[in-house]
Amino acid sequence: MINDSLKPSKRQFLLFLGIPVIWYSFVVLLPVFGAIRYSFFDWSGGPNMEAVGFANYMDILQDDLFWRSLKNNLVIILYCIIGQIGIALVLSALLQSKFIKFKKIHRSVIFFPVVLSSVVIGFVWTIIYNKDYGLLNWLLSTLNLDFLIHPYLDDPKTILLFVSIPLIWKYIGYYMVLLLSGMSTIPTSVLEMSEIDGATGWRKLVYIIFPLIKSTIIVCIMLCIAGNMKIFDHILVMTGGGPGTSSMVLAIYAYKQSFVKYKLGYGSAASVLILIISLGIVLTTRYIAGREKSDN
Amino acid sequence: MIINHTLRKVGQLIINMFICIFSISCVYPIAWIFYSSLKESSEFNRDIIALPQSLNFDNYIKAFQNSNLAKYSFNSLFNATVSTTIIIILAFILAYFISRFNFKGRKILYIMFLFGMLVPVHALLIPIFIQFKNAGFFNKRFTLILPYVAFGLPFTLFLLESYLNGVPKELDEAAMIDGSGLSRTMFTIILPLCKPMLVAVGILSFFGNWNEFSFALVLINSDKYKTVSLALQSFSGQYATDYPTQMAAMVVAIAPVLVLYLIFNKKIIEGMAEGAVKG
Repeated sequence: MINDSLKPSKRQFLLFLGIPVIWYSFVVLLPVFGAIRYSFFDWSGGPNMEAVGFANYMDILQDDLFWRSLKNNLVIILYCIIGQIGIALVLSALLQSKFIKFKKIHRSVIFFPVVLSSVVIGFVWTIIYNKDYGLLNWLLSTLNLDFLIHPYLDDPKTILLFVSIPLIWKYIGYYMVLLLSGMSTIPTSVLEMSEIDGATGWRKLVYIIFPLIKSTIIVCIMLCIAGNMKIFDHILVMTGGGPGTSSMVLAIYAYKQSFVKYKLGYGSAASVLILIISLGIVLTTRYIAGREKSDN
Repeated sequence: MIINHTLRKVGQLIINMFICIFSISCVYPIAWIFYSSLKESSEFNRDIIALPQSLNFDNYIKAFQNSNLAKYSFNSLFNATVSTTIIIILAFILAYFISRFNFKGRKILYIMFLFGMLVPVHALLIPIFIQFKNAGFFNKRFTLILPYVAFGLPFTLFLLESYLNGVPKELDEAAMIDGSGLSRTMFTIILPLCKPMLVAVGILSFFGNWNEFSFALVLINSDKYKTVSLALQSFSGQYATDYPTQMAAMVVAIAPVLVLYLIFNKKIIEGMAEGAVKG
C-alpha cells in the first residue's frame, strides 16, 4: 500500500474507477437483481406481465426435471473431480520426477486443449464418438476390442460419463499446471530427504507431496465444482440435453425454459435458484476447506 | 543390483512412454481434424485415419462460399480484439488502485469482482437478455463486447493484482515524490513492468472472447453479427454428413487459437502458474 499522503484525489478515483465499476455493475450486478424481480412474474416476453409471487419457485421445486438436472450436474462434478484432478495429480507428480524426458513439451501439449472452446470440443468429440467415422471405434476395432463399442451418445444410462470425458480431457492440463506450480513450492530438500528415507513412487506422492499441496488441491476442487455448475456449451452441441432429458444440466434447463418455451419469468426463477445453489456449494466447500486448514 | 537397475530403467521407459501417449492423445484429435479437412468426402469415408493423398482445399472453398464464414470470423476477431484491449486497460487500472491505495470501499470493490468469478454465467443469460432487449442493446455491433469485458474483468484483475503486489511500491512512491502524476506513474512506469503478465492475461482473455458461445447464442440473431462459434453450430446441421467440410469450418475456428498458442504457450502457462501460486 502506498503512503496515504500520495493518494489520488476524489476526482481521480471517479475518473479511473467509474467506467469499469459502472460497466461491470450494468452487466453483472444489475441482472442479478433483474433475475430476482422477473422471477416473481408470469411472463413470455410480451407486454403482459402477471405478478405470481412465489409460484414459479414452487413449480420449479416440484419439477422432476429440475432435480434431475441438478443431480446430473453433481454426477458430472464427481466424474470431473476424479478424472481431472486425479489424472492431473498423477501426471504432475510424474512430471516432477527426474527421469521424465521432454517435460516442458509435455506441459505445453497437455495444456493445449484448455485453450480450445467448449463448442469446438463438443463438435470434435461428437465426431470422435461417431459410430462409423469416429476415432474411438476405429481405435477399439484396431485393438480388437469391438465388444466395447457402444452407442456413446445414445445410451441414457451412460450418457453422463460420455459427456464428461471431453470435459475431463479439456481441463486436465489446467489442473496439472496449477498442481505443478503448487508442487514447485515444496522445497527440494524435503523431497530428497524422503527419497533417502525410502519413500519412492506412490509413497512419495501419498505421504509427502499430497499433504504438502493440500491447499492447492482444495483450490482445484473448488474451481472444479464452480466450473462444472456452469457447464452448458459442449453438452448443448453434443446432445442438447438428450437423449430425452438424460444429459440435462441446470444451465440447459434454464436456457430451454426461457428461449425454447418462452417462459422468461420461470427461467429467471430457475436462474436465481442456480445462482443460490452454485454459490451455496462453493461457499460450503470453501468453509469446510478453511476449517480443515485451521485444524492443521 | 544389476537386475534391479535394469528393472528400474524399464519402469522409467514405460512411464515415459505412458506420458508420451497421453500427450499425443491431447493433440491427435485436433491434428486429425486438420488433416481430415483436406480430404475429399469419399476419401474420408474410405479410411478415416489415413493421411490425405493430396492437399485439397475444396472443403475450405465450400465452407467459405456457402456460408458467411469470412464475415463470422471477422466478427469474432473484432469482438475478441476490442474486448481484450478494453479488459486489459480497465483491469490494469482496477488492479493498480486495489494493489496500491488504501481507500474506502476497497474491500467492497474486491468482493464485488470476486462475485463475478463465482457467479455462473448461465444464471445471468436470461436477465441479461431481457435487460439488453429493454435497453436496445440487442443485435448491435457492440452487443457482445459488453458482457465479454464485464465477465473477463475479474479473472484478469486478480492475476494482475497479485502480480502488482510483487512490484515494489517504492517505485511508485519515488516517482510520485519526484513529481510524476498518477496516470504517468501508472502507465509509463508501472505498466511496462507488468508486460509479461499483461501478455499472458491478454492472450488468455483473447481466447476466452474468441471462443465464447453462450452470449452470442442469446444476444445475437442477426446474420450480420454472428460469430464463428455460432457458425459451427449451423454448419453441423447444414453438412450433417459431410464431415470434411464440417472439419474445415472447425479448423477456421481453431486456427487463431492454435497459432497464438504455438507462439505464446510458455508465457501463458507461466502466467497461469504464477497467478495460482500467489492467489
